[in-house]
Amino acid sequence: MTETVTPTEALVVEETETRPGFIGQSVPRKEDRRLVQGEGIFIDDMKRHGMGFVHFVRSPYAHARIVSVDVSKALELDGVYGTLTGDEVAIQTDPYFELTVPPGNEIKDYCLAVGKAHYMGEPVAAVVAATRDLARDAAELVEVEYEPLPVLVDPERAQDADAPVIHEDPGSNVVWSGLFSWGEIESAMAEADHVVRIQRLHFDRFSSTPLECSGGLVEFDRPTGQWHIYSNNQFPGFAAIMMAPALRTGIDKLRFISHDIGGAFGNKICTHPQLTACCLLARKLKRPVQWTEWRTEQHMTNTHGNERVFLDVEVPVKADGTMLGFRCRAIDDCGAYPRYEPLGCIIWSQVTPGMYRWRHIEIDFTQICTNKSPVGPNRGYSRMQHLWFTERVIDIVAHELDLDPVEVRKRNYIRSDEMPYETPNGCVYDSGDYSKMLDMALELIGYGVLEERRAEAAERGKLLGLGIGSTLDSGTNNFGQSQLLNPELQFSGNNEVATIKLDLLGEVVITLGTVPQGQGHETVASQVAAEILGCTPDDIHVRVGHDTYWNSHSGFSGTYASQFAVTGLGAVKGAAEKLAEEMRRLAAAVLGCPADDIELAGGMARMRDNREAALPFMALGAIINVNNAGLPEDLDVTLNARYVYRPPFQVPDKERKFGNLTLTYASQIHACLVEVDPETGAYEIVNYAAVDDCGKRIHPQIVEGQVHGATAQAIGAATHETFAYDEDGNLLTPNFYDYHVPHALDMPPLHAGYLESPSPFTAYGAKGMGEGGGAGIHAVCAALQDAMRAAGNQIVHDSCNPPWRVWEMLQDPESTRRLVSVEERR
Amino acid sequence: MDPVTGKTIAVNVNGDQYEREVEARQLLVHFLRDDLELTGTHIGCDTGNCGACTVIYDGTAIKSCMLLAIQADGARIDTVEGLASDGELHPLQRAFSETHALQCGYCTPGMLMSAKHLLDNNPEPTQHEVRRALQGNICRCTGYWNIVEAVLAASKGEA
Amino acid sequence: MLLRQVEYARAESVADAVRLLGENSNARPLAGGQTLVNVMKARAASPDVLVDLNGLDELKGIRTTPAGGLELGSMVTYTEMVESEDVGDFRPRLAEVTSTIADVQVRNRGTLGGNLCSNDPTNHLPPLMVAMGAEMTIAGSSGERTVPAEDFFLGVYLTAVEPDELLTKVTLPPPGGGDGFAAVTIGREGTCIVNAAAVVHDGEARLAIGCVSAVPVVVRAPSEPEAAAAAVTTADFDPPTDVHASAGYRRRLAEVLARRAVQQAIGVG
Repeated sequence: MTETVTPTEALVVEETETRPGFIGQSVPRKEDRRLVQGEGIFIDDMKRHGMGFVHFVRSPYAHARIVSVDVSKALELDGVYGTLTGDEVAIQTDPYFELTVPPGNEIKDYCLAVGKAHYMGEPVAAVVAATRDLARDAAELVEVEYEPLPVLVDPERAQDADAPVIHEDPGSNVVWSGLFSWGEIESAMAEADHVVRIQRLHFDRFSSTPLECSGGLVEFDRPTGQWHIYSNNQFPGFAAIMMAPALRTGIDKLRFISHDIGGAFGNKICTHPQLTACCLLARKLKRPVQWTEWRTEQHMTNTHGNERVFLDVEVPVKADGTMLGFRCRAIDDCGAYPRYEPLGCIIWSQVTPGMYRWRHIEIDFTQICTNKSPVGPNRGYSRMQHLWFTERVIDIVAHELDLDPVEVRKRNYIRSDEMPYETPNGCVYDSGDYSKMLDMALELIGYGVLEERRAEAAERGKLLGLGIGSTLDSGTNNFGQSQLLNPELQFSGNNEVATIKLDLLGEVVITLGTVPQGQGHETVASQVAAEILGCTPDDIHVRVGHDTYWNSHSGFSGTYASQFAVTGLGAVKGAAEKLAEEMRRLAAAVLGCPADDIELAGGMARMRDNREAALPFMALGAIINVNNAGLPEDLDVTLNARYVYRPPFQVPDKERKFGNLTLTYASQIHACLVEVDPETGAYEIVNYAAVDDCGKRIHPQIVEGQVHGATAQAIGAATHETFAYDEDGNLLTPNFYDYHVPHALDMPPLHAGYLESPSPFTAYGAKGMGEGGGAGIHAVCAALQDAMRAAGNQIVHDSCNPPWRVWEMLQDPESTRRLVSVEERR
Repeated sequence: MDPVTGKTIAVNVNGDQYEREVEARQLLVHFLRDDLELTGTHIGCDTGNCGACTVIYDGTAIKSCMLLAIQADGARIDTVEGLASDGELHPLQRAFSETHALQCGYCTPGMLMSAKHLLDNNPEPTQHEVRRALQGNICRCTGYWNIVEAVLAASKGEA
Repeated sequence: MLLRQVEYARAESVADAVRLLGENSNARPLAGGQTLVNVMKARAASPDVLVDLNGLDELKGIRTTPAGGLELGSMVTYTEMVESEDVGDFRPRLAEVTSTIADVQVRNRGTLGGNLCSNDPTNHLPPLMVAMGAEMTIAGSSGERTVPAEDFFLGVYLTAVEPDELLTKVTLPPPGGGDGFAAVTIGREGTCIVNAAAVVHDGEARLAIGCVSAVPVVVRAPSEPEAAAAAVTTADFDPPTDVHASAGYRRRLAEVLARRAVQQAIGVG
C-alpha cells in the first residue's frame, strides 16, 4: 500500500560530511513503549483529590445580546461546587491583548462572553461539580436570556454598510487590512502576452481535528498566587502572554505543564480562554478544576483554520508560459475573535511566490470577523491557503492557455541552481530541487501510462484526471513579521531552549521547551545529544512534555510552525555542546591533561591517545555533585547547561514589508490520480504519490510519518472536511458523523519518495517540517479539473470538493467557466 | 427485573475481577477510565465514530462509548492494558512501534484492540481486510498506511 | 457525551419487555445501542427507562422458513447477518449490504431491529426490506401482528411499533428474482447520501429509494434499468437539502442509483 522510493545516487543533491552515529537513523522511539501500552498520560487521564469538573454553558445563537444569566438553579443542585459568569470575568480580568492595529485592537475578548455572544457555542457561563455528569446536568439548569441579533456568516458581506457589526468597540468588522506590493505589477501587465483573470477562488474552512480534544486541570496555590496549569496547550509561550495580563499576574505565576498530547496540529494554541476560566474557577472555588472539551465543542468553538477568498485575480503571462506575477484581493475570515490573528495576514508572505519565479506580486489583503468560530493556526497556517491559491493559478492558467501542466511548472519553478533564492519580499528559500521532485512524483504516479489509463477509465464510463500539487513548508518563523502588520508590536526573531545535565549517577537528562504531540521529540533530541556526548540514545533521558518550572523555555516555546528540527534541536545541540565541553574540561582536570586531548566516546570521557585513561559519566557526575574537594579553583563546571537557540533574523523592513521571515523551506510535490463518476459526482483517488524534501532527515521514519499524516489530512480537506454554516450561524458539521474524516478504507495507495537538499542555514542541514502545506488539496483540485476537461472544461475554484460540488460543476460548467477569462494582449 | 437507577456490577477486565456500583447512565468507557482508572482506553468523539474507545467485550470488538456499564455486568472485557504480559509486549504492540504506526498514540489503544480482534478471528488477513477492520478507528496523525503495514507484519510474525 | 439520569431494566422475556415498556412512560427498548446511546449522549432524547433486550435469546437466530424464505430475529447483529450461512445462501445481497453498514465495532453490536425501528432516513436496511417485501412481526400486550415492510415505516424515526410493543422478527419471502442495491455514501462504505434497493420478479422491479424522504419511497417499474430511472424521475417525493446534498442532487442520484440497482438485479450491473 505504501512504497518508499530510496533515491539513487543521482537524486541526493548534496552530502556534506559523513556523520557516524545516530543522526539519520530511525532509532526506536522512546515514546512508544508507554503509548502502545495505553500508559500515556493525556490530560483527561489526570486526577486530583477534590477536583471539580467544568462544563461550559454555551450560546445557542451565533449573535445575540446576553440579557441575563441566572445560575441559581444550578447552584442548588447537590454536588455543584460553583459557577462563573461573564459579569465576574469582566471584573476579575482584563480583555486579552490584541495583536492588531486600531481600531481592531479595541475588540474585547474575554474567557466568557461579556454582554454579547459572538458565535454559536461561545461559552457564556461555567459550572463546576463533583462529577462530569453533575456538571453537565447543572449546566442545563443555568438560565440565560438572549436577544438574538442579525448574523453575519459571509466574509464577502462583512464590509457592507448594512452588515451586522460583530464587535461594537472597533465599530467595524475589519481586523486588519493592507496592501502588499512587490515588483511592478503594472509593467508586468503591460509586458504580458496574455492576462488571465479569475474572479474567485475560495479556500474552505476546516481543521485538522486532533483526536484528543483540548483540556486542562488547573490548581491554584493561594499563598503564592501560583497557578499550575496542566493542559495540552501546545504553545505555552503564547498562552502566557495572553493570560498573564488578563489575570493581572506575572508570567511566572502561570506554570504550564504538558505530558502526552493526542495530536494538536495548531488547534491547541488558542485554548487560553478556557484555561483562563479554569484559573478563575480554581481560585474562586479553592479546588483543582478539570476541563475536558467534547468533540462537538471542539468543532463548534475551538478552532478552525482560516477561510480565505481570493477575488479579481489577474495573471500576466508571456506567450511561452512564463508567468510574470499576479494581483488580487484577499479576504480572510478569522471568525468571531482574532486571538492569534492577524498574524495570518503576514505569515502567508513567507511563501509569497509559492515555488515560482514570478516577481511582480500585489495582494490587497483584508481580514474580517464573522459570527463563526474563531480561527487558530491550523496545520499549514496561512501558507497553505496561499500556496493553494498559487497552485490554482498555475493550474488554471495552464488550463486556459492550453499549456502542459508539467512543462509550465518546470518553466516557472525556482531552479535549484538559484538557491538560496531571495523572493520578491526578501524571504530566502534555502535549498531545493523542485523540478527533480516533480519528475520523481510523476514517475511514481505512472505518468507515462496516463493516457492509456484515461482511455481505459473512459471505457468504464469514468473520467480520469491527474493533478500536481506543489507546496512549501516554511519553518522557524521570524516573529518580526508581526511588526509588518503592527509596528507597535515588540516581537521579533524566535528561540527555543533546552537544558541538559549529567546527573549524580551518570544519567544524562534533557528538558525541552517544546510541547510535542506525537513528533517524537524525546527520541530525536536524544539522537542529537548522543552523537555529541559519545553515548547512545538509550543513555539519554528526555523528560516528557513541558514544564515551566524546568526553566527551559522562553517566550516562543512551544511546538508549532514546523520548527523543532531547527529551533528545538538547535537548543539541544547547543546545550549538549556546552555540556560536552565542560565534561572534557572536568575530565582533563582529573586526568591531568589538556582538555583538547579528551574525547567523549563509548559513554566515557577518555584521553584520545590513551583510552585506558577514562572516566565514565557517573564518575564525572559524582565529582561535581558530591565529591568536589580538590578541584582547581578556576574550574567553572556545573555539568548543567542551558542553551537558548536563536535563529539569525533581522527585524524586517516595515516600509517595504521586506525581509527574511522564515529560516528554512521544506518542500513537497504530490501527484494524484482521480476517477470521477460523471453521473454522481462521486470520485475515488486511485493512485497517489508524495515526494518530500526536508533537508537532512534526522529520523527518517518520523519525517515520513509526518508526510503521511499531512497527506491524509490534506486528502480529507480536499474531499470532505469543511466547517459549513447556515445563514443563522449554525455549524452544520459539528461532529464526526457529519464532518467526515478519512478512515483506512478511504486512503489511496501511497507511493512516497524523498530528496535531501540540506539547508545551508542549520547545523545539521535539517529543515523544520511537519505541517506539510496541504499539497494533497492542491493535487486533488488539479486532478478533478483535469478529469473534467472531457466533460465541460470546468475550473475548480473551491478547495473542498465533495461529491455534491463535483456534480454541480458537471451539471453547470458555465457556472465555473464564467469565473475565468483570457485577454489576449498580442 | 424492575427498573433501577444503579446497580453493583461484576466485571472481569484483563483477567482481574472487579465489583463496583454504577449509575445506569454511566457509559462503559467512563467506568473503565474513571472508576477502574484504566485510562488506556480513550475518548475522541461524542457520536460513536472515532473508535478510540474500542475494547474487546466478550470476545468481540465494540466501541465502549455506546455500551452502558450496567449492561456489562458479568462480562469479560479486554483493554489495551491487558495486551502485554509479564512486561513482554504483544506482537502487535511491537509491530506498531517498529513500523512507526503511532505518533501521538491517542488512537493507538483502540487500533490495537481492533487489530487484535481481527487477528484473533482472521490470522492471515489481506491488506483490504485489515483496512476494513480498522474502518471504525480514526487516526489523524499517520494516514493509516503504517498502521496497516504493522498489522500485516504482526500477522506474518514479522514483529 | 454524558447521559441524563435514566432507569434500567434487563428484560427476561419478550413478555417481560412488553410489560416493562407498557408500565413505564417514556420507556425505550435498548437493542445494540449504536443509535440510541448516541442520541442519549447528545441529550437529543432522554428516555426515562431503558429496557435492555440483549438477554433475549428468543429474539436471536436466523432460520429458513418452510416456504423457502428467511426469518431473522430482531436482535441479530449486523455481524451475525454478514456471517450467517443461511443469509449467504438465500439472500447474499442482504449480507453484502449489511457488511457496508458503519464499521466492524458497530456491526458487532448493532441489530437488525434497531436499524429498522430507528428508521433513520439514511439507514440501509429499511429500503432493502421494503424492496424485498419483508414482513415485520410485532409483539404487544394483546399478542402478535405482522406488518408488511411497505406499511412499517411511518416517519422519521417513526415506525408501526407502538411505545409498548417490540419488533420480534423479520421474515423475508423466498427470493423470486434478482436484487440489487446502489448507494452514494459519505466516504467509502459510509453513511448514505442516497440509496436505492431493487428486487425484480417477472419483468417487474420493486424499488425503494432511501434518504430522499421520511420513509423509503416505493416505486414500481418494469425491470429495465432506463425505465426504472424514468419511473423515479416522475415519482412523487421531495428530497431534503442538507450539508451533504441539495434536493436536486438527491433527485438526480435517486434516478441514477435506481438504474444501477436494477442493473445489478438483472445481472448486468
